Amino acid sequence: MRIVEREPEERALIEAAQNQPARFAELYEQNFDRIYAFFARRVSTRDEAQDLTAEVFHQALASIRNFRWQGAPFVSWLYGIAAHVLAKHWRSLGGDVPVDEMHLPGSRDEIEQSVLLGRLVDGLPPNQRTVLIRRFVEQKSIREIAQELGRSEGAVKQLQLRGLENLRDKLGRKP
Amino acid sequence: MIREELAERLDQEIDGIRAGADPSASLELRPLLELAATFTMLPDPEFRRQLKAELHEHAESARFSGTGETPLGIDPTDFMAVGRTFGDSADDFRPEGQVEQGQVERRPALPGWARSDGDRRSVRAGAIAGALSVPSLAHNELSPLPADPRSLLVSFVSHAALVALIVSGILAGHRTVLKPNSSPSELTYVALPIGETAPHGGGSGGERNTIRASRGTPPKFNDQQLAPPVIVVHSPTARLQVNSTVLGPPDLKLPQSNQLGELLSPNLTMPSNGTGSEGGIGSNRGTGVGIGIGAGVGTGSGGGCCTGIYTPGNGIRPPRALYDPEPDYSEEARKVKLQGSVVLSLVVDATGHPRNVKIARSLGMGLDEKAIEAVEKWKFTPGMKEGYPVATRVEVEVNFHLY
Repeated sequence: MRIVEREPEERALIEAAQNQPARFAELYEQNFDRIYAFFARRVSTRDEAQDLTAEVFHQALASIRNFRWQGAPFVSWLYGIAAHVLAKHWRSLGGDVPVDEMHLPGSRDEIEQSVLLGRLVDGLPPNQRTVLIRRFVEQKSIREIAQELGRSEGAVKQLQLRGLENLRDKLGRKP
Repeated sequence: MIREELAERLDQEIDGIRAGADPSASLELRPLLELAATFTMLPDPEFRRQLKAELHEHAESARFSGTGETPLGIDPTDFMAVGRTFGDSADDFRPEGQVEQGQVERRPALPGWARSDGDRRSVRAGAIAGALSVPSLAHNELSPLPADPRSLLVSFVSHAALVALIVSGILAGHRTVLKPNSSPSELTYVALPIGETAPHGGGSGGERNTIRASRGTPPKFNDQQLAPPVIVVHSPTARLQVNSTVLGPPDLKLPQSNQLGELLSPNLTMPSNGTGSEGGIGSNRGTGVGIGIGAGVGTGSGGGCCTGIYTPGNGIRPPRALYDPEPDYSEEARKVKLQGSVVLSLVVDATGHPRNVKIARSLGMGLDEKAIEAVEKWKFTPGMKEGYPVATRVEVEVNFHLY
């Protein structure tokens, strides 16, 4: 699976951000999911992935004026920064730097699957989305979610099931 | 399996996996658990919003500073060599010729799960670091300079400014601020606490002339006065020529010139020893210079200069710190990371030395003592009144910060 780049639009966005850094927000929105997914597959905690993602975008913003359009998608440039940030992160932890899963066949598709999943979550019915985010992103228990939503635990479990099934179907992973 | 049972079973599996148990799900649940595993690493939406806001803030500040400086001296165009071909090849990020074969366990999606059975390799840290130094697509050759020459200039200027700030003490740990007392300036006629034997008065003199003493500067101070200062010399054939002095501590410095006289006198033209008496220069009594009594200079009596403690303002120029070593941090305060400021009240005497240093606002944990210890070593240019150095009472704020 690959997200098709719309080159002229992206190039215009880059030039806009180079002239007016506040426009960087659009590039951020377009590329956040993929950069985050890049790290999420390579570190063990969400906090680590978020910290490294933040580092990449800060570096990218600070250097956007140095970017020269060479025909490659903007995200390639971001992946380059991400690879550097990740290598530095691993070095700071000591020991060898494991090779990127990015080197392995199919890894790009896995990233795009993660990106797609994030976007599909946004398209879920609000109650299912809320339950999944609180359960998996915020790491809350079924009981806590039930109390917060004023629903029974059984109802929350049902929403959790339906939400995951919905996503499975949208991703084409039929049982 | 009915829906309720399926939902319950799914939740139990999720809890079990979180606790580190191996998944035992049926084929029906396995795809859902894989999704759940992916979910555990999805970003927090709040983080995403916060990062966007943070970037926006930085973008705004960059807009005002007008720089596109690369942080940490990294030129991301160098990354292009690493990231350029992503999308074209499975080996996009592999530095050519620098990959070593090895075994690296890949992080399972959830404890106990392996994500893939694919090829496994490892690269030493230096290999990737080396790969990042290869030429960029934007520049086909290595260059020690950033892509944009303006970045170099901006970097140089900003670093120079930072160094200047640190050297000036603004950023370096303890900032000190001289604060005048808020009370109005007044002459207090309180003797300075520098020892009873030391002269601490002013001086004057004159020959009962009707014209005020000529404008000029007093002679140097000395512990003994061999010859009083005079402007109009009535015995030019004296056998022993001795330089005139005024009585006072030798380290007490006043402005010097070739013209003896009274500082700030309105008489700029007519030579006169002044309206006073007993042989000096001035309008009172003594062998000194000024409006006091004695062999010293200025107001007061008994020698020395400029008795009285003034507060800056109303014609009193405040003292200025010339040498102000930073205080040390006390161990106690450092351990608990105590920060803040100590305000000290002190008198800067006419020689520029701090006297009678007291705590006006305490911070505690040994920092008060450290502040006093440091400020007692300071050296000032004294406060000035009508051209004469005077003792002034000031407050010094000593800031303690841990960076």
